[in-house]
Amino acid sequence: MARWIPGDRSEEVALLKELGLSDTEELFADVPKKVRLGRMGVGAGKDEPDVVRAVDQILDRNRPYSKFASFLGGRIGTRFVPAAVDAILSRSEFYTAYTPYQPEASQGTLQAMFEFQSLWVELTGMDAANASLYDGATSMGEALLLCHRVHEGHRFLVPASLPWEERSVLENYATGFPIRIESIPFDPRTGCLDLAWVRTEVGRGDVFGLLADVPNGFGHLDEGLLELKSLLGTVPLVIGADPLALSVLEPPGSWGADVVVGEGQGFGMPPNFGGPLVGLFACRKELLRVSPGRIVGATRDVEGRRAFTLTLQTREQHIRRSRATSNICTNQSLVALAFVVYASLVGARGLAELQGRVTERAHTLASALGGVDGLSAPRFEAPYLGEFAIAVGRGNAHAFLDRLRRRKVLGGHPLADPRPGRPGLGEELILTAARDTTDDKEIQRYAKAARAALAATGAA
Amino acid sequence: MTFRQARYDEPLVCELAPGRAAAEAPAAIPGLPERWRRKTPLAWPELSELEVVRHFTRLSQMNFGIDTSAYPLGSCTMKYNPKVSELLARRRTAAELHPYQPEETVQGALEILWRLEKGLAKVTGLPEASLQPAAGAHGEFAALLMVRAYFRERGEEAQRTEVLLPDTAHGTNPASAMMAGYTTREIPSKDGCVHLDELRAAVGPKTAAFMLTNPNTAGLFESEIVEIAGAVHDAGGLLYYDGANLNAILGVTNPGRMGFDVAHLNLHKTFATPHGGGGPGAGVLAANDRLAPYLPVPRVVKRGRKFALDYDRPKSIGKIKTAYGNFGLDLRAYVFLLSHGEEGLKHIARRAVLNSNYLAHRLGRFLPRPFRPLVKHEFLLSGAPLKEKGVRTLDVAKRLLDEGVHAPTIYFPSLVEEAMMIEFPETESRQELDAFVAAFERAVSDTPENLHAAPRNTSVGRVDEVLAARQLLLSWKDLRAAAANLEASGR
Repeated sequence: MARWIPGDRSEEVALLKELGLSDTEELFADVPKKVRLGRMGVGAGKDEPDVVRAVDQILDRNRPYSKFASFLGGRIGTRFVPAAVDAILSRSEFYTAYTPYQPEASQGTLQAMFEFQSLWVELTGMDAANASLYDGATSMGEALLLCHRVHEGHRFLVPASLPWEERSVLENYATGFPIRIESIPFDPRTGCLDLAWVRTEVGRGDVFGLLADVPNGFGHLDEGLLELKSLLGTVPLVIGADPLALSVLEPPGSWGADVVVGEGQGFGMPPNFGGPLVGLFACRKELLRVSPGRIVGATRDVEGRRAFTLTLQTREQHIRRSRATSNICTNQSLVALAFVVYASLVGARGLAELQGRVTERAHTLASALGGVDGLSAPRFEAPYLGEFAIAVGRGNAHAFLDRLRRRKVLGGHPLADPRPGRPGLGEELILTAARDTTDDKEIQRYAKAARAALAATGAA
Repeated sequence: MTFRQARYDEPLVCELAPGRAAAEAPAAIPGLPERWRRKTPLAWPELSELEVVRHFTRLSQMNFGIDTSAYPLGSCTMKYNPKVSELLARRRTAAELHPYQPEETVQGALEILWRLEKGLAKVTGLPEASLQPAAGAHGEFAALLMVRAYFRERGEEAQRTEVLLPDTAHGTNPASAMMAGYTTREIPSKDGCVHLDELRAAVGPKTAAFMLTNPNTAGLFESEIVEIAGAVHDAGGLLYYDGANLNAILGVTNPGRMGFDVAHLNLHKTFATPHGGGGPGAGVLAANDRLAPYLPVPRVVKRGRKFALDYDRPKSIGKIKTAYGNFGLDLRAYVFLLSHGEEGLKHIARRAVLNSNYLAHRLGRFLPRPFRPLVKHEFLLSGAPLKEKGVRTLDVAKRLLDEGVHAPTIYFPSLVEEAMMIEFPETESRQELDAFVAAFERAVSDTPENLHAAPRNTSVGRVDEVLAARQLLLSWKDLRAAAANLEASGR
């Protein structure tokens, strides 16, 4: 067993003696016999060498995506992480700290969070950002509740192409309120929002908010988004945005977004099987007081020096309780730190170049896959950056991807809702992504494997 | 102990290297329509790796962490975060896994999740667990959605609109109830514990759930827990366990044994995953047979020798976040569980409660302790008598920082005037406890002038929080605008 509890038995005996007790059992005299336990049955403890061996043995049953030609993407990225990011995250003054409730002793975390907020403000063109939420999907959920707080109506519109996980999270955030979430249909050719439908539905007067994402669930840039705010009028517009894309795109603040949310893991964190992630959240200043999450502000100390502190805490659960704007307490600080460290290492120009490289790789991939018989790649005709949806002509996405895997290619992920009997996107759709490190050989391997996989489907 | 925190007048990272902008615009993005193209370049500097590393290293030195100081924050369970967990969580076989990889390629990750869920089910005494919540409050919210789904199926959703909680509840409890669409009702305490008669009078056909943490935030074990559970269940309501304070009762009792239907745990408390300066945490949902069908999907299952993700749970509430939870933290918690085992977990509770009672006993000489003397993982002191000399709990907290220890949780719970809530987990030695007693004595016996002037040894002096809320400078953009305004008005 590890030495994580200090001292030996004699230290405990001495402490007990000070209390006039002889056995730690006496410290639990207030726990009724009726609820006392015998054994839990969790097994005996292990020493550090045995723990390392046992855990490595289990982990060795994983095959990291780096062992494959990987084209996995979606909101969770697999971009290269410079070594310096983890060197900073490994500073235990950062990672073993608590929430900075004592600002004088926590300027490090507070300033880093202020820098994180500053970066998301610059990327989005919004007025203010918070110090992070759990992930992109829960940021959308919080944005939905914010819209419901500030605007009349009971309908919230989201693209039909929104990833099913985010749709499900939104449904859960809406559960406790009289809210109906509805899908905005898309043009079957371009995958872009049907703006005429939006205009009609908003005209009914019962829509309290609309969420759209850039790139959308199919990986595309939907030019309709730039017109959305003029259709919505006072109805709040929530934009879900990829941070790397925002390094080259007109910021949503300049085309009318009221709230901008996003997933920030791709900046400086490996995917870690899906967590920890980091939810990005920015909004217009008028919405700040009804917005969720911690916010760091600049101020002065008694000597007039610049200092940082948590501010607007009267919105939060520990002060406002059942009238708080959200229940969030613990957020994703350390991942937010990774986000700002990563962007600072890469730089504004570096980010734009990275997006340029990924985009070029994605277009090369699209040309290669476009030549594969039985594959529609890209499936939709709209501009895209690093990823796009493809459609298999025969069989379903799962069978196709499984055949690719046997040829050491992770070809993307299916877009359909895996829950049986749920409506959603078709079984033939796959989201496939280029990476910053994708090379020509990997692209050729994908195309070759795809040909073989589809030929096998045809034969069967 | 002499303590001086690092003090750098460190600019913002975006203020470093002013004027060093990119020489030329980056190359055009292939296929990017002109309408979409960013017209104003992103305002973020071009820095060398050393400049970035030095900046953030300096910031880190202006922070307290468990590795630098004792951190007696009540209800936060700031215990040592083992280094072996950090090592293993950084393995490529853990970090370089995309959640959408085929199941065949992530058998190890699924096995970790499966084993941890099984282990935590045993620890909580509730048969099924899910690791999907990102944090404790997220778990509370998800659990209340499960409660809602349960009553919906029974046709009682419209009737059961109320969540009850004690007046000592963590702030997240009422906030989570609000987010799940419930109204809340506070049950008054009696001597720091739930007033059973008040609870019995309050429960009824409108009750959806009673949310309780045990031991509670006064550090007291709710000894009438069997009667509490009976009262809630007799009224047809469900009993919810807030696991923030589980550390004190590991192996002594558990939520299942106490009659709870559903629970959340904070792996970043009891299971020693690092707090990261405010997050990430990792939450756990554990449920009895009545509520388990509503747990989020996917569920990790074992089929023969293979692990799989099961989405075929028709009653499930669905997803509460992307992917399967904070796997990187779950792995650390698994390492902790595996290392301690049965005896280690029991030892944790005993030592944490011993530390807490010893410290309560010693500090009780300086300030009054409300309620009964026997406490669990944490205890309360009231700073009310200090008001006589013009000193508040806040001043003592700031003065403690000068001693090189973190301050306790202050002004919570609100039923104790000028509250200080102190928790020294099992990883702190007698030496640290005694050092804290000495520091505390120096703090409370210091002059009002010194207490008001504290802290002096931290990176910055006392921070003006009122000014922060008034001027609302929340980003570099705001600072630039404020500077421009100042310059304009100066002319």
